[in-house]
Amino acid sequence: MAGRPRGLGLTLSMVTSPAQRQPKSWLWGSLTSIRLTVFLLLILAGVAVIGTVVPQDQPPGFYLMRYGQSLGAVIYYWGLARVYYSPWFLAPMGLLAVNISACLVQGLPRAVRRSLKPFTWEAALALPERGKFNWPAGVDPQARINAVLHRELGPGRRETLPDQEIYLFERGRYRPIGPYLVHLALLLILTGGLIGKFWGLEGSLPLDQGEVARTFQVGRNQHPLKFQVRLDKFLVQYYEKGGIPKEFRSDLTFLKDGREVARATCRVNDPVTFGGLTFYQSSYGSRPEGPVRLQVRHGGLDQTLELPPRRPVDLPGGEAQVMLVRVDGNLQGYGPAAQLALRGGAGHPQVFWVLQDHPELGQQPDHYQFRAESIPFQFYSVFQVKSDPGVWWVYAGFILLLPGFYLAFFRPAARWAVVLEGAASGGFKVRLLGASPRHREEFALSLERLLEGLEKGAPS
Amino acid sequence: MISQILGLVMLAYLLVAVLFLAAELWSSPRLQSWARVLLWAGLGVHTGALLGRWAGSYQLAALHSAPAVFADNLRLVILQAPLSNFYESLVFFAWTLPALGVISFRRHLQGYLGAVVAVLACLLLAYASFGGVDSRIKPLMPALKSNWLLIHVVTAFLGYAGFALAFGAAILYLLQDRRPRASLPPLAQLDRLIYRATVLGFLLLTLGILTGAVWAETAWGRYWSWDPKETWSLITWLIYATLLHARLLKGWQGRRIAWLAVLGFMAVLFTYFGVSFLLTGLHSYLT
Repeated sequence: MAGRPRGLGLTLSMVTSPAQRQPKSWLWGSLTSIRLTVFLLLILAGVAVIGTVVPQDQPPGFYLMRYGQSLGAVIYYWGLARVYYSPWFLAPMGLLAVNISACLVQGLPRAVRRSLKPFTWEAALALPERGKFNWPAGVDPQARINAVLHRELGPGRRETLPDQEIYLFERGRYRPIGPYLVHLALLLILTGGLIGKFWGLEGSLPLDQGEVARTFQVGRNQHPLKFQVRLDKFLVQYYEKGGIPKEFRSDLTFLKDGREVARATCRVNDPVTFGGLTFYQSSYGSRPEGPVRLQVRHGGLDQTLELPPRRPVDLPGGEAQVMLVRVDGNLQGYGPAAQLALRGGAGHPQVFWVLQDHPELGQQPDHYQFRAESIPFQFYSVFQVKSDPGVWWVYAGFILLLPGFYLAFFRPAARWAVVLEGAASGGFKVRLLGASPRHREEFALSLERLLEGLEKGAPS
Repeated sequence: MISQILGLVMLAYLLVAVLFLAAELWSSPRLQSWARVLLWAGLGVHTGALLGRWAGSYQLAALHSAPAVFADNLRLVILQAPLSNFYESLVFFAWTLPALGVISFRRHLQGYLGAVVAVLACLLLAYASFGGVDSRIKPLMPALKSNWLLIHVVTAFLGYAGFALAFGAAILYLLQDRRPRASLPPLAQLDRLIYRATVLGFLLLTLGILTGAVWAETAWGRYWSWDPKETWSLITWLIYATLLHARLLKGWQGRRIAWLAVLGFMAVLFTYFGVSFLLTGLHSYLT
């Protein structure tokens, strides 16, 4: 296989001919080498695979249980349990950033200079000749050249010299900048990530209905808010009972010094920003607000029972105990429900739901029949609270990627010229010149069409 | 109804593959053009089935909450694109293969290459039809109610399709390289097709990851969470970035590039199927 770079598309500065390259230190040479890039990309891919195979962010006990004492300890203490934040990942990532930066420093200025250099007739005449024609006197040379080349290459310009006319066409002039824009964009994204890591704030805020918060939780600490926020109402809706949830929605009021300043509705996919912080609907739940009142039927006898949360209560007859495990304000759209655990004798407790509005649903335990009379509950809603000044850097990187990719992959660089000279016969001598060192395939196709067009004239 | 039509489309793709193979074996231009006509017909019906399903889920959603003004209506149309569960994603993935193949390979999408693409599309549709995948139209869960759903899923799957095409060309390259056959496309051409499809896939996957990141930022407040699907898409991206750098800067060509394209497609398959079935995460609503 040829070891020579064929360079059809993007090129960073790394492959220039040795003659052009100034003598650089070994370190600089290594930092700008493509070998390092490929090596780092594969290392990063490998480490990322580990991160998806080994469950992340679990307590140490989890790894000891799952992988055994020695392997579990290795995984936990070598940082494989938080691999994306460990040197295994961050070091190659950092080195990749250095690698990209070095290539940018080395190649971007030259690429910009090359793009800014105008396409002069001197440069045009130095291009290799691709075809030669003799046109008879009857032909309108300007019209034919414009028709054929304009169609293939877009607008060009004309230079008139004393004894010849030169038509210049340049395509993909800014292509050399493309790959650098892409890599600059990647650096912007990484920078944004770092900014978020150091200057961003991320926490969570659970709020009961009606509750006012002055702080939110960041890690294990309470972080003060510069304002107060109140959850007025939480709502969960279903498309149909027993089906898919349609909407989770929290109505929030923001207060300053006890005065209402703003109201907003926070939904999934529809966050709320206030005072530099953004609130995302992240989860919700219900908590009991007092004892649940139940009717129990056992052996033909009805009895009313009050169950406080998570405290076992003896059932009539004394043969079993029942405990309120939790409540749900809207169980799959069927309204309030209480989850109970019943233990009779030594067996496993039976766990089941009792629905207030739908007593027919839910599986009843053996020997007992439960009906809920009232299930007092309160919804709570949990918000992800965040500020991340790095996001704009990341987005800027995303946007910059687009022109970068466009230039790098969709603007093959090529220069063409047609030189027109009057011949003694009254006709014209025409020469087609052109070059596209990096896009030979496209160039060959264009050349074929241009030669045909110039020979026969453009098809009308 | 639409599932039966898709069953027919699956048979059409199978027939396309057979015709392309037969055309190659008997070097018959007439069979070649029949296969192409049938491929276009299958693609057309497939497109119709996708649109029909789109209309179906729109109608279902409009039943639950009828949109009042034009803007609401438009948003509902965008939201109800048939890309919201595993079945719909399989059907769409199967559609992207011939669709992108026609665009990317143009006249080269024939013979063995055409057969490979048709077989891949047929397999995906067969899985959607017979793999025990739930094909019912269901209303959207809150997490998927976003304008980003359409663009994110479309770009991601078109990216997968680009890589699948590169994989098809790479397989033919490796076969041809091992035992040269006159009926297979020449090596240099396959090499170019691998590259072309990879570039297309890479751009589209990048767009898929970007739109996913923007969506994640608006839905969860985090543009990147190291969710298994995200991580595997990054792994895929890194492999193809390696391929492009190796080819464009190190001048790698031929067999090594073909193997990288195969490796990359394994990562694609894991990103799509493996993550959904073996690992749990934020994207688990696909199953």
